[in-house]
Order: sequence, then structure tokens, then C-alpha cells
Amino acid sequence: MTTSATPPPAQRNGVSKAEPAPPAGRSRRGGGRSPVRRRADTRFVLLCLLPALVLFAVFMIVPTLNVFRMSFYTWSGFSPDMRFVGLDNFRALLDDRQFVRAFQNTVALLVVVTVVTTVMGLFLAALMTRQRLRGRNLYRFVLYVPNVLSVVVIAAIFSAVYDQENGLLNGALRLLSLDGLQQVWLGNQKIVLYSVAVAMVWQSLGYYMVLYMSSMASVPEELYEASALDGASPTRQFFALTLPLIWENLRTTLTFFIMSAVNLSFVLVRAMTGGGPDGSSEVLLSYMYKQAYTNSSYGYGMAIGVVIFAFSFLVSLLVSRATRREPLRY
Amino acid sequence: MRRSLVLTGAAVTVLGLLAGCSAGGSGSDSGKTVLKVAALEGGYGRDMYTQVIKAYEASHPDIDVQLQISKSIEDEITPNMKAGRYPDVVVLGQGRKAALTETLVKDKALEDLTPVLKEKVPGEDTTVGDKLTEGIVGNLNTDPYGTDKTYLMPMYYAPTGLFYNQGLFKEKGWKVPATWDEMFALGDTAKKQGIPLFTYPTAGYLDSYFFALLADVGGESFYTDVMTYKKDVWKSANARKALDITTKLLGYAAPATVGYANEQDFTKNQQLVLDDKALFMPNGTWIVGEMADAPRSDGFAWGLTPLPAVTAGGKRYITTSVESVWVPSAAQQKDAAKEFIAYLYSDEAAKIFAKSDAIQPVEGIASSLSAENAEFYKVYEDPSVAALVGGFASTAPVEGVDIKATLFDTANSVISGDTTEDEWQSALNEASEKLRQAGG
Repeated sequence: MTTSATPPPAQRNGVSKAEPAPPAGRSRRGGGRSPVRRRADTRFVLLCLLPALVLFAVFMIVPTLNVFRMSFYTWSGFSPDMRFVGLDNFRALLDDRQFVRAFQNTVALLVVVTVVTTVMGLFLAALMTRQRLRGRNLYRFVLYVPNVLSVVVIAAIFSAVYDQENGLLNGALRLLSLDGLQQVWLGNQKIVLYSVAVAMVWQSLGYYMVLYMSSMASVPEELYEASALDGASPTRQFFALTLPLIWENLRTTLTFFIMSAVNLSFVLVRAMTGGGPDGSSEVLLSYMYKQAYTNSSYGYGMAIGVVIFAFSFLVSLLVSRATRREPLRY
Repeated sequence: MRRSLVLTGAAVTVLGLLAGCSAGGSGSDSGKTVLKVAALEGGYGRDMYTQVIKAYEASHPDIDVQLQISKSIEDEITPNMKAGRYPDVVVLGQGRKAALTETLVKDKALEDLTPVLKEKVPGEDTTVGDKLTEGIVGNLNTDPYGTDKTYLMPMYYAPTGLFYNQGLFKEKGWKVPATWDEMFALGDTAKKQGIPLFTYPTAGYLDSYFFALLADVGGESFYTDVMTYKKDVWKSANARKALDITTKLLGYAAPATVGYANEQDFTKNQQLVLDDKALFMPNGTWIVGEMADAPRSDGFAWGLTPLPAVTAGGKRYITTSVESVWVPSAAQQKDAAKEFIAYLYSDEAAKIFAKSDAIQPVEGIASSLSAENAEFYKVYEDPSVAALVGGFASTAPVEGVDIKATLFDTANSVISGDTTEDEWQSALNEASEKLRQAGG
């Protein structure tokens, strides 16, 4: 009977015997540290993060806030003469037919490119992952190559492909005696946007295909074997197994699509058509650029920037909400 | 040890960032006045600038001219200008895609260069004003606010008009049309032989066509009304006549025109003229250098003609493209800049520029022109032809309104049938009215 017996470590730290002791590692790292030491650690971590935080604030947060601020002014971009006009720039946007046209074009590109790239990307990824295609590594490489090319190079390639007289496309149609289908691909206002969309799909397809392939590859083979024994066809397997199990990955790529469709369309349109003919392929970013820098309406351009920001954010949110579902585990 | 390394790294990064943000400063250690000159490297090349600067520095040992020259000079100087570091002299005209000159005009951010006209050309007895070709200053191109103050000094000038293949005309026995009736008759003849009458590199090149046409149709007063956005000017009979002629002409356009009328493919439209697949295109004298290496039909020779007259024997205007030199009002060395600009009109400098086919609007320049250029500049000697300088007057920026795009780019839609002449006229009237209300 000893009253002076030393209590076990858990009791010394005020922890009931019934509770499990914390893992040794965690105890050594923080649990036993004094508040002074913990504060010092926090300071240390913050200091480590400081350069990144400063860079992030200087190059991301401040410019973004500036875009919002400038959208309330009329300003040419140079002079000190800035006039606060409140929401006038946004009101003017509603009456600007060219802006509405650019908005429609952006939405059209977003929908067409997202749908086509997703469907084709999933199809090709499933084909490469599930089917024993001869030379599939070569296909994967070939499809991925456009992704590493500069967008300007892609614009040049497609300008050559679309050339109305000596282009690959019209040449092929001539060869197949389909002369009636020949088009002025970059000069016809009804077609030009889709010509740009094809270039965008070609550029991004390989990237998304590889993304889908990597998540499809992680789906356990046993599931496919079991479903095959139950008589599921490859199509049924795709919709019942593959698609639900890579759903989270698909959702993520949809957000990528929204961002890249807005950005990529700007560069391709600038390089391939300059927004023409007569504004028929103008997109939001190219119109913003024209207003801010060519038409000396910087504040108005920033108002377009705010619309792009809000639009991208809203679409991402809607897509995220619409595609939310209980994640399936395997 | 590891902690101190991280702390040091963080401090260095932050300090580096701050130092990077505050980097700058100017000045010469040699005690000389540093004059910063920014110039567009256009079709004339860059060598002429280095030679002129070398000659200037030789006669001005206290000046150190630092040249910044690029094919996209706006992209290079704009970030510095936004940060408050302005060049002292800029050689850059209007009508560029980036519209830097236009923006500074709208901002009233240019130095008044009227005093330069009264300055003596360094090393010579005449003043700059006396040396300049008559009529080259005092228009909306040089005096953009419609006052008698000059903000943009004319640097090089070039006639623009309809370029064609003299060889083809000779071979076919065709006469260069002097009236629009003759022009459309030629269009029908050529069409029968499978040659379209007209093309343009991009719709933007229609500036040289439209400005001359407006003056041809209604005289200089009507042209000025259009350029200064007179109320309902686009509803007038003269405006309608100009649009009628243009719509008819666009009906004769080469089928390839719209498809190639973009920045990537515009030379393919120019090539149509070299290949005898189109008769005329609006362009400037720089086309010769630009297409120097392009293949061409046998016997090809560049020809330039003003637009046909609206009525037989009527006056014909030729749009003169003028590149400008200007000084930002925020420049540090304004006096040195003005003196340097005065020197640019000296015989010494003009001779160097002319060697690169950069023709300055100074008296007596004709004697230094090369054979091909002399042929082009002869157009000014025709008594029935008058030079037209300038363009739309500057106004405060109007959001979403670009009258040049409305006037020129719509041609693409007229050719393709996506826009009617009535819609074109209505859009022009609307844009002009908005700019009129914005005022100067």
C-alpha cells in the first residue's frame, strides 16, 4: 500500500486512464509543448508562408480588387483623370450589342467545347483503358501533343487547315468529290465560331483524356470482372461503373473547362480571326481587350472583366451544385 | 540552423520583391542629358534610326540618345508609362491596333509641339514650319482637337490609294478607270475573264479608300463634317452616295477576301493582286517592301491610282498616310525632345530616312526618291488630285463605340450579305451621334 506511488504518465497529464493515450508521435511533436513554444511555432510557420502570401496578395488579390474598383470609373488607362461613375459602365453593357454578341459567343463556345471535349475525352479514355488497342500509347501521345503546343502555333496550324483555297479541309472535301461542302471556314459568320471551337477541342482533348484515363485506371478490375459475369456489356459497364466511379474527377474537369474555355478562346480568336469577320467571333475577353486598350475605355473594359469573373464563378458554382452527388467508394 | 535559413530566405524574398518594385531610375553617369526615344520598327527597318541618332549625337555631344525600337513598341513602353516612366520622344502613328497614340490624344496627354514649327532646324537657317510641305500640318491628324495647336508632328508620309498590276493592264489593253462608271464597266469586263475587280487585305485598309471617297463625293467640307461627327451627317445624300458606291464595289470583291481578311492571312489577299486574281486593292506605298519576296505574275509592276472620280473631270482626293512623332506631356526632357524633333527634319536626317524609303514631308524631298517611289509620289503632281490628310476627330472615349470599326469592318458583312446597306448607314449614324455628344 503505497500512497506516494508515482502516477502513470496519463494521470500526470490529467488524462483519465479510460481514455486512450495519444499516439506517441503526436505527443512528442505538439501535445506536450508549452503555449509559448506553440506560439513560436505558429510564428515560424507564418514566417515561412510570408513570401508566398506577399506574392499572392501583390499579384493576385490586389489586382483582382483593382479590377472591381476600376469598373466603377471612366478612365483611359493613362491619364490621372479618373471619374467615378458608379454602375454606369455596367448599365452601358446592357445596351452594347457587341458585348451581348461576345457574351453569346463565349457561352456558345463554353457549351460546345465542354460537351464535345468531355464526351470525346471520356470515350477515348474508356477506349484506351478498357480495350486492348494495338498502339494505344502512340494514340495517347499523338492526342496529347497538341496540349504542349503554343496556342499561336495551333492558330497557325488551323489557319492552314481552314484555308479556303489550299487548306487541308477543303482539299479533302474536293478529293472526296464533296465540293458542295467546301466552306470559307474563317470567313463565314455562321461557321467561324465553330471553326474556332474545333481548334479548342483539338488543343485540349488529349489533356482531358489523360486525366480521365488516370482515374479510370484506378477503378478495381474486379468490379469489371464481376459485372461482366453478371452479363454487363462494355457500354453498361461504362455508365454503371466507370462514370459513377470517376465522377469526382469529371466534376473537377468541368471547372477546368469553364476557365480554359474563357482563356483559350481569347488567344485563339486573337490569333485566328481577330474577332472577325465583323465581330462574329468576338468573345468576352477579346472584347474586353479591345475596349480597355484599343477604345481607351479602361473602366468599361474592367466592367467586362467583372462580368467575366462573376460569370465564370457563377457557372462553376452551378455546375458544381448540379453535379454534386454522394461519392461512390470502392 | 534550419529555422534561421528559412527566416533568412523569407526576408531575402520580401526584400527582393520590394526592391524589384522600386527598381528604376534614369540618368547618365557621364553627365550627359539622356534622351529616351521610342520608335516603331515598321517597314522602313531600324537602321535609319541608329544612323540618324549617331549623326545627331555627333553634333550634340551633350546628348545621349537611348533608342528603344520594336515592331510592337506599344507593348514595350506601355507598362513603363503606366508606372510613370515615359519616353521623351515617340515615333508612332495612329491607326495601330493598340491605339496608344489615339489613347494619349483622347487623354490630352501630349505635349504641344506648335513651338517646334517656329524652331530653326539645327544646322540650317530655315524653321521647321517653313521646311514642311504645305498643308501637312494644321489638319486633324496633326492638330487632333481642331484647334491651331499641333501635337503630332508629321514624320513620314505616303500616298495611299488603289494598287494594281500595271503589267496586267498593259497586257489586256485596259485603261485605269478615271470614273466610277468606268470602274464598274471594267469590273464587268474583268469578271467575264474570271478576274474580280476588288479586294482588301483587311477591312481596316479601307481607311485610305473611304476618306478619299467621302471627299470625292461631297468635297472637303463634307469630309470634315463626317470626321467631326456633324449631326445626322450619315443620313445625308452624300453619305448615302458613298455607301451606294461602296456597296456596289463590294459586290465585285474577290470571293476569298473575307476569309483572308484577318491579321494572320491578310497577305493572301494582297497576293491576289500579285497573282492577277484581283485587279485593285487599297494600300500604301509600303506594300512594295512588304511583298518584295512574294511570287508574282510575269511582267508584274506595281501601279497606284487615286479612286475614280464620282463625276467625269471631278476632283479626286488621295488619302495620305502620315506617321507621327510626339512627346508625352509627362516626358522628363521636353526641351531636348523638341530640339531632337527639329533635327529630324534636317537635310542630313531626311537623306538618311529617304535611303530606307521613309519619305518625310519636307520641301525638295522629291529629288531624293528612288525610281519606284518617285512614280508613286508623282500622284501629287496631277492637278486633278488633292492630298487628304487626317481622319476622325478625337473625342472623349465612348464605351462600346468605335466608328472606324463600324465604317470599315462592316464591309465584311456587306460582302457576305449579313448586313444591308441600310443597316450599315443606321449603325454609322448611331455611332457618329454618340461621338458627337461625347464632344472633343
